[in-house]
Amino acid sequence: MDDPGARRREIRDGVRKLAAGGYLEGAERQGVTSDLTIDESLILHSIGWEPVELVCGASTYAVPPTLWNWGSGEITSASQAYQWAVRDAGQKLRAECLGVLGHGVVGVHFDVEFERHFVNAVLVGTAVSPVGDHHAPGVPFVSDLSGRDFALLHQAGWDPVGLAAGASFVYAPRRSARDAVRQTAQNVELTNYTEALYSARESAMERMQQTASQLGAHGVVGVSVSEGPMEFAAHAVRFAAWGTAVRRSERQPVLAPPVMVLDLDDERLAFDPTSLRAAR
Amino acid sequence: MSENPGPEGLPEDAGHRLAELRNLFTSDLSVNEFLLIKEAGFHPLGFVMGSSIYHTGIQARKWSKSQELTKLTGAMYNARELAMTRMEEEAQQLDADGVVGVRLDVNYYEWGNDSAEFIAMGTAVRAENGVSHRNKLGMPFTSDLSGQDFWTLMQTGYIPAGLVMGTCVYHIAHRGLAQTISSVGQNVELPNFTQALYEARELAMTRMQDEGGRLDAAGIVGVRLEEKSHQWGSHTIEFLALGTAVVRSDGELTLPKPTTIISLDH
Repeated sequence: MDDPGARRREIRDGVRKLAAGGYLEGAERQGVTSDLTIDESLILHSIGWEPVELVCGASTYAVPPTLWNWGSGEITSASQAYQWAVRDAGQKLRAECLGVLGHGVVGVHFDVEFERHFVNAVLVGTAVSPVGDHHAPGVPFVSDLSGRDFALLHQAGWDPVGLAAGASFVYAPRRSARDAVRQTAQNVELTNYTEALYSARESAMERMQQTASQLGAHGVVGVSVSEGPMEFAAHAVRFAAWGTAVRRSERQPVLAPPVMVLDLDDERLAFDPTSLRAAR
Repeated sequence: MSENPGPEGLPEDAGHRLAELRNLFTSDLSVNEFLLIKEAGFHPLGFVMGSSIYHTGIQARKWSKSQELTKLTGAMYNARELAMTRMEEEAQQLDADGVVGVRLDVNYYEWGNDSAEFIAMGTAVRAENGVSHRNKLGMPFTSDLSGQDFWTLMQTGYIPAGLVMGTCVYHIAHRGLAQTISSVGQNVELPNFTQALYEARELAMTRMQDEGGRLDAAGIVGVRLEEKSHQWGSHTIEFLALGTAVVRSDGELTLPKPTTIISLDH
């Protein structure tokens, strides 16, 4: 049985070291940590890149107390907390990436938890760099694309530049009691909700686009959205959108034209096209 | 189909972000799909969406009668139509030739059992060589095909004309007591159930084919038939038929012979 006091000291020292970035210093000597699969590492090597280290960035912001179910217009404090949490988590991720001399982070898990009183953004991914290149670049990129997708894009002459994200929270005003009663038996559009959702969507997508433009991107691929009311607030809608901003590079694209293949494996003869979409 | 209340066009806030999409594109395509769309000669313009939150009316059903519930059918049609039209309008604002990878969803939230969000999303694309690929009605084509399927379809000399659908909300009669007793312990077909399901599917499929006919389609590919009870209880079912109507393109047919492979990764 260990001495509990010693264990606690060990954890405390570890946390201190972590905060100072100390655990990353010996990374090269200790070998590589990465959450890439073997396939992904191999594909990365095929374009002359290699994984360097698993890096992470996290940020939590408090959301000021709000009347979640009564109001109109955008809930700016919530939208701001979301933007800032994602931005700060991204900055920390970049800082860690620079600490291990990575040129960028791929396969980032974009994990944002939004609760009544706080928003918590956690980004975890694998820092990568060209093989043998030990000079840190100016600004490393961040991307939620897999290592495989990164290699494909790289060959096709595109570079990821960063994660573009935007969110907006908007109140959906209640219908008047008279309308609610009158519309019970009718087929009718609920314009209050539709408009609130539209308003949230426009602002969120606009913010995502602005982030991408600031990064000098030519486009955003793999956009995911999450929308709808929250568990604790049925009369407020949330809309969040995020994706990887990409830019055309000066490299000559070397994409081989696709070849049609017929898979002769038994299990796969039942081809399901939707599975391709789901398996991003 | 039925009365069409509520605003016709886009809500007030729609379109802000699209005006900014000049030098930047957004897209929910995966990297594979993005590269295949480029390979097929199209460029993504923007992620377009249309949605409508809709309150469904009430219709009385007879316990022992199989019948279409026209009011509910009307609601499902109307709400999806609103979402689709709004998405098409966004695509038109971007001067798109079409929308690929369209997803049609129905979401139920905490707002009550009778209201649901109908949403259509997809990626607007435009041909890079400047040739218009709009459909017969002069609108951007819509298609629920993935980027992979879109590329393959283009190789076979067809292009999508539009996403077509047919829906039918049907109430299936309960069986009477005498009927239930007479079939206990026996192997028998239940003709009233069979017939009701047949008729509902036929109605939905026919409506989908009619929509295809309006686009002068050569065929409808990737048809899915979905059956959902939504929140109406077990005997009321929505039959939704959904597919992409295709027309022949003028382009020359360059169908490559597929290479057969056996993959070694198991």
